[in-house]
Amino acid sequence: MQLSVRKLSKRYKTGDGVSGINIDIEKGELVTLLGPSGCGKTTVLRSIGGFLEPDSGDILIEGKSVIQLPPEKRPTSMVFQSYNLWSHMSVYDNLAFGLKIRKKPKAEIRAAVDDVLKLVRLSGFEKKYPAELSGGQQQRVALARSLLLNPAVLLLDEPFSALDAKLRHEMREELREIQMKTGLTMVFVTHDQEEALSLSDRIIVMNHGHIEQIAEPHKIYDEPASLYVASFIGKMNFLEGVAEEEGIRIGGLRLPNERKERGPVTAAVRPEDVQIDSMAAGEDRKDKEDRLTGRIKQVMILGHYAEVTVELNGFGIIRAFQSKEAVQQLHAGQEVGVSMTKWTVFPNNQTN
Amino acid sequence: MSSKSLIDAGKVSGRKTISPETKQSLLGLAMVLPSFAILLVVVIIPIIQSFFLSLSNGEGGYDLSRYTYLFTDKGMRSNIIFTLRVTVITCVLVMLVSYSLAIYMRFNQGPIVNLIRKTYMIPLFIPGVIATYGLINLLGNHGWLARLIGLVGLELPRIIFDQKGIIIANLWFNIPFTTMLLSSALAGIPSSVIESAKDVGVGRLTLFTKFIFPLSYKTFLVAITFVFMGVIGSFTAPYLIGPNSPQMLGVSMQQVFSVFQEREQAAAIAFFSFLLCSVLGAFYIRSMAEEEKAKM
Repeated sequence: MQLSVRKLSKRYKTGDGVSGINIDIEKGELVTLLGPSGCGKTTVLRSIGGFLEPDSGDILIEGKSVIQLPPEKRPTSMVFQSYNLWSHMSVYDNLAFGLKIRKKPKAEIRAAVDDVLKLVRLSGFEKKYPAELSGGQQQRVALARSLLLNPAVLLLDEPFSALDAKLRHEMREELREIQMKTGLTMVFVTHDQEEALSLSDRIIVMNHGHIEQIAEPHKIYDEPASLYVASFIGKMNFLEGVAEEEGIRIGGLRLPNERKERGPVTAAVRPEDVQIDSMAAGEDRKDKEDRLTGRIKQVMILGHYAEVTVELNGFGIIRAFQSKEAVQQLHAGQEVGVSMTKWTVFPNNQTN
Repeated sequence: MSSKSLIDAGKVSGRKTISPETKQSLLGLAMVLPSFAILLVVVIIPIIQSFFLSLSNGEGGYDLSRYTYLFTDKGMRSNIIFTLRVTVITCVLVMLVSYSLAIYMRFNQGPIVNLIRKTYMIPLFIPGVIATYGLINLLGNHGWLARLIGLVGLELPRIIFDQKGIIIANLWFNIPFTTMLLSSALAGIPSSVIESAKDVGVGRLTLFTKFIFPLSYKTFLVAITFVFMGVIGSFTAPYLIGPNSPQMLGVSMQQVFSVFQEREQAAAIAFFSFLLCSVLGAFYIRSMAEEEKAKM
């Protein structure tokens, strides 16, 4: 295992922090710590980097405990949110500094800097100062500075959050490309779920200082382990129901009770798993075992797809993503039938 | 277009208008003018007057005899050396103590830091004469420190009416403000910069020499310029607790002016002191200009 975090706990005076964090990351993996502000993701990352002293637990890199080591002695490198380039040094000096203090020969440093500048597409920027670079270029230099040190684990603390949406997207792709080329193990912190889903080999969803789920992006999306993960990742509809022996009852609708739940439950349904059918004239307007009924509130065309909002009879609002073609026959105020192709059921007593 | 409107258009285009840039420049100049006028009356004109006065040989002619005296008279030469020595030692000690205090406060927390933060400015609120009187009472031959250590059979070395006394007084007067300046400069260095330096493996000494010092160098220069100029032109403490000979230039100038009534010689000392300060001023301006150039 390249990185192991064992029972890591850190409590702040404010009451925030993390407790009992266990993470195992394989060599060459890009793992994202995802969660809202204050969930503890940066605490975990800074503890790995040695910038924060945890109350208890251990951190092992390549099988060796690094918990007692200061940041400068750990085989990690961090790319910070605010770039943290040294304003009094040129791009070349920023990059070469880490190698200089490792007493590498000048020619080797020069070659390594040239290579890494090529990798981050900044050749020719050696003599510029950080103030002369754009945000994206500065973050590339920051990334290059860390890459040059060839760390056992590269830590990235929301590195693209200060960039605009387009640049963020580009940088994401570049980072993934660089990670594939170099085979570096990376731990990436973000609160942007899209970033996490598009970048990661695995995602660690955190909430209130603990881990909610560790899984591949598609699993996190398709099979959320908790109501919290279901609500945090992507858009989701929630329908209150009751789990009984013969199935889960949501109004007249019956869903199979595969997990053998009992009592009040919440069914989480992705908008793309909701099917909207216009009802024929004279058709029964009541719920059936395989569908709910409602009235369309709004049809919004969002480029290549449409979002249809339906007010269910007694169950609030449900949103469905439909193809543009499918919504041609639909309009606000229309009575429709709503069925689901996929769902996840959570007991209501599950703690978030 | 009628011939009349053509003439009107010609009139408009022929009128001289002031561009917004020129207006802004004139406004800027107008705002600088009052302070420049004060500087002119209070500093520049007196310096020029002193210079011309110092050139006067007292026999209706002009020569450099007053300056020749400055460097040939044994007493005067030792005054200059004494002044420079006290100034340099003070600068070194003040910068050492203030930088250490500022760094300690920047990178540490706890009750000691809080205590330093709350107390280091106190000397700024005590008038110079009173502080000097306090030092005489504390460190004088019969001061209470001498009496205290006398109880255990020790003898206090001569501090008051000696170079040491002036230096201690200078430390008292200069450390608070210098510490304040340096503290604010160090506070301006983001913790993230320090963290990223540590992240690439920088140790404590390199952290100071390659990051903390270069990033606070500008303020360091400002502080050392203030201390140098303040000490070289100081009067109260050297007058009250300095030795009779050699003397600091300020005291010597007062004596030459008031006691010996040699206005021309006093003017030469004043102008020489101004030149000494100008050297550091020029060095400071040059460093700033170089830094600005590097940023361009």
